[in-house]
Amino acid sequence: MTTLELRSGDPSDSLVTPSAALGIFRRPLATTGWKSWVFTVDHKKLGIMYGAVAMFFFLLGGCEALLIRLQLAAPDNTVLSAGLYNEMFTMHATTMVFLFVMPMAAAFANYFLPLQVGARDVAFPRMNALGFWLFLFGGIFLNSSWVLGGAPDGGWFMYSPNSSALFSPSHGVDFWVLGLQITGIASLIGAINLIVTVINMRAPGMTLMRLPVFAWMQLVVQFLLLFAIPVITVALFLLSFQRNFGAAFFDVEQGADPLLWQHLFWIFGHPEVYILILPSFGIISEVIPTFARKPLFGYKFVVFSGAAIGFVGWGVWAHHMFASGLGPVSVAVFSVSTMLIAIPTGVKICNWTLTLWGGKLWFTTAMNFAIGTIVLFTIGGLSGVTHAAAPADTQQTDTYHIVAHFHYVIVGGAVMGLFAGFYYWWPKMFGKTLSERLGTWNFWLMFIGVNLTFGPMHILGMQGQPRRMVVWPDKLTGDGFFNLGFWNRVASVGSFTIATGVLLFVINVFRTARKTEKAPLDPWDARTLEWLTTSPPKEHNFDSIPTVHALDEFFHRKYEEVDAEGGSRLVKVKTAEEVQAELNAHPDEHMHLPSPSYWPILLAFSLPIITYGVIFNLMLSVFGAVILLLAAFGWVLEPSVAGHDEYDPPADSGDSTKELASVG
Amino acid sequence: MAVAAFAAAVLFAGCAQDAPQDTFQPKGPNARTIDDVQRPLFYVAGIVGLIVFAVIGYSIIRFKDRGQDMPEQTHGKTWLEVTLTVIPAVILAGVAIPTVAAVFDLDDKSNECVINVTGQQWWWEYDYSGTCGGVEITQPIVTSGELVIPADTPVLLRITSRDVIHSYWIPALNGKRDAVPGRLQTLRMEADEPGIYTGQCTEFCGLSHARMRQAAVALSTADFQTWVTNQLAAYVAPEAGTLAATGEGTFVNQCSRCHQVNGLVAADGTPVLAEPDLYVVAGAAPNLTNLMTRTAIAGWTFDLLTDACREQLWNASPEEFGSLYLQGVWMNSGPDATKPVCFAEATLRDWLRDPAAMKPNYASPDQVASTGGLTRGMPNLNLTEDQIDQLIAFLLERK
Repeated sequence: MTTLELRSGDPSDSLVTPSAALGIFRRPLATTGWKSWVFTVDHKKLGIMYGAVAMFFFLLGGCEALLIRLQLAAPDNTVLSAGLYNEMFTMHATTMVFLFVMPMAAAFANYFLPLQVGARDVAFPRMNALGFWLFLFGGIFLNSSWVLGGAPDGGWFMYSPNSSALFSPSHGVDFWVLGLQITGIASLIGAINLIVTVINMRAPGMTLMRLPVFAWMQLVVQFLLLFAIPVITVALFLLSFQRNFGAAFFDVEQGADPLLWQHLFWIFGHPEVYILILPSFGIISEVIPTFARKPLFGYKFVVFSGAAIGFVGWGVWAHHMFASGLGPVSVAVFSVSTMLIAIPTGVKICNWTLTLWGGKLWFTTAMNFAIGTIVLFTIGGLSGVTHAAAPADTQQTDTYHIVAHFHYVIVGGAVMGLFAGFYYWWPKMFGKTLSERLGTWNFWLMFIGVNLTFGPMHILGMQGQPRRMVVWPDKLTGDGFFNLGFWNRVASVGSFTIATGVLLFVINVFRTARKTEKAPLDPWDARTLEWLTTSPPKEHNFDSIPTVHALDEFFHRKYEEVDAEGGSRLVKVKTAEEVQAELNAHPDEHMHLPSPSYWPILLAFSLPIITYGVIFNLMLSVFGAVILLLAAFGWVLEPSVAGHDEYDPPADSGDSTKELASVG
Repeated sequence: MAVAAFAAAVLFAGCAQDAPQDTFQPKGPNARTIDDVQRPLFYVAGIVGLIVFAVIGYSIIRFKDRGQDMPEQTHGKTWLEVTLTVIPAVILAGVAIPTVAAVFDLDDKSNECVINVTGQQWWWEYDYSGTCGGVEITQPIVTSGELVIPADTPVLLRITSRDVIHSYWIPALNGKRDAVPGRLQTLRMEADEPGIYTGQCTEFCGLSHARMRQAAVALSTADFQTWVTNQLAAYVAPEAGTLAATGEGTFVNQCSRCHQVNGLVAADGTPVLAEPDLYVVAGAAPNLTNLMTRTAIAGWTFDLLTDACREQLWNASPEEFGSLYLQGVWMNSGPDATKPVCFAEATLRDWLRDPAAMKPNYASPDQVASTGGLTRGMPNLNLTEDQIDQLIAFLLERK
């Protein structure tokens, strides 16, 4: 469905559109079939596409992880060669960070931010589409390195000078640099888009302090992206120019200091950690109150601690460099600032726990994942404190103790939180509920698997097994309880346990898709605005933009305090259906929705052509640049919406959700 | 599970024979400074974790939906929020103070010995000069793999790199310090007692990062003096007509371009000087003058000692360690032995036959095209079995 214009009776009331747009500059009109996806600018369709592609990369990165764990299951193992192993852990990390967790969080942000703030779309819909296609093409470009001469092999941190052409002669690092440039543009424009959406497009009455916590956390994340992505962009350009055009930014022989790269990378890289985790903090801050049937404890504290994390997160990057030789003053300062960030993080954990306290807990799969997130993230947070102390970190850094720490944070925290989001929002997105029975198995396999995989890594690290080593020798394993061989095998078994859990999720998705049973309108007795519309939501989200009176607006429309013996009681006075009917009784006039566009996908497509050209032949880059320029012109010249006469008149029946078909 | 592992890791540390790189068993004052910060941190983290899990666990059981009324829609209690913000802040302040103190303690550079440590793909070089723990080092000693230091003596390492970033780590003695090209960074090492303390390069440094290891060997002052004297002893040419004498020629032809053996002279009487900068990217190759005093080769990855002898050495008491170590591969062999019983000959033989098969590198002709012929790692010299016999005979005398 495309431009929707709902009019109430007055036929002369129409949009102003260019009447004689050239053929190719018409906006596409398809409402069904592949064209309706490829040219869409609808935030919900883009959200689903973000999610589907991110899920694909999750499975890919997961397979890479399984290969790594197979290799490490036995001493001096030969599943992977040293070179392939280095490529594998580089791509595992890069894929999981840039092609799974970030875009999956973007999927949720895209789909639910406009709904939660009561908007009809994001502020810049075509840019939103451009962001998705850049992410997809960037991810494909990066992974094409596997078949075009070798994947990047310098680790996801790509320390200089090991990443220079001298020490990493394959094109892998070039693919990494340029691929991340492309996905970086996607993140950056997505950030601007969502910031403007939240700041400018909130429904009446939706003050910032009535914003759902998910929207708040996403807002913080978008600001982090806005400032962090430019830093990595600069670093990537420096490295790119060094590798491809003879610059010498990190060349020691010419007087450069390789620590420059480390600073640039971690000034981006540490905020990046919060970019990964905060969306999931937001998700479980929605899920836990819903299933505890009470508001989030200390909403303001959760919001401000999230913002505090967003600020302090900029002042801790050098804790990744405690062994680099920064000198004791820098090390002491960054050590203390790192401990500081544990305070707002601790506040969040306390508040989630206190939200459970005194609640009426309903243990759905979404709730299980959310509680699992708190538990596992707490372990990751506490082990984080053990290496905030710089002297201890000089023992722990680059060992499996660190691997254990950040996997508890990212898998236990971010990924489990995303799964809570899947189960919670699936009925909203697709109108069908994921199987709770499969979901329970999915949850327990992942929860146990995470502990089985990453729990032993604490032992491995403290027993002195460093990271990024293709083999561990039998002679350094020790005996007894801490035998490294035993715990490495346990971790490998654990990784397959996680994989089984994820497989069940995939099966669940396919089985649910074939199911005909529709989800109830409000399956979880939810609290926020996205539940104040159909499932899946209509293209224009709300027939009538709700006016917001309170935090948890939807909940307060359903429930009221009624007097009862021994004080007042909270009673459900209206069903979701009734609340919705009430709202839809007076649909808005003039709903302006953006029309689809041919240009975002074409513009996005030009970038990998340019980057392939940088690697293989600059003439190809010129060709790509021409496409880019044409696409930019097309973008600017196309009419702002499809012509009014290109559509059938909207149906005047009471069903305002009827889709409008295009005229030929 | 992980908390249990945490707790167990702390409680059981020291019981069984732990892995040699166990970070909870400091064997010197610097590592002990770290341990004094690290161990309480694990206890604090463990206790906080248990409290949080207890509250969550209790809530899950106590507040499960059993058909009770809808809970009060409370938005929080400010006093409770403030308390729960202040408590972690106080705990962290308690952690921060000893942390900062330890950071500055560990930066103390006072020492009785300075050793230059240089990393390159994929091995460490050590370079001694001056006085070390009271022992005069009259000429520079250049060695690799094993850092030999006097026990109970503060030693300052000056660490740098010739190519990419590496990181020097001997967990029993201190934390890590990166070896950064273009920078000279210090790390203090001190071992309480004689013994061998293993380590590993911990900054990812390319293809064979996993096979870049090291050890620190602490010796009593007397043993250290013996070690220094031996390292500085004049070159003794193999007896004419022996296999080793043939091996000397083979070494000069095949190996001495890169590998220095101090005192070696060519047939025409001129000193044989290695020029690794012409052949290797990093411009260095291990000095082999006293190869057989070391217990492992090729980035301290492949043992020159048989497994049994290595175990014997690693498990030796501090009193007997020095005398065993100083015998090198000739350990347990007796004074008149012609063949060392502890020598893992197959290892050295395999290495000479095809180094890249044991330790992946960039040294084959197609791999060095992009570096103008310079290798990273030892190329396959296509030695015949006879040449390998000769070289082993020659190298066995480099003790």
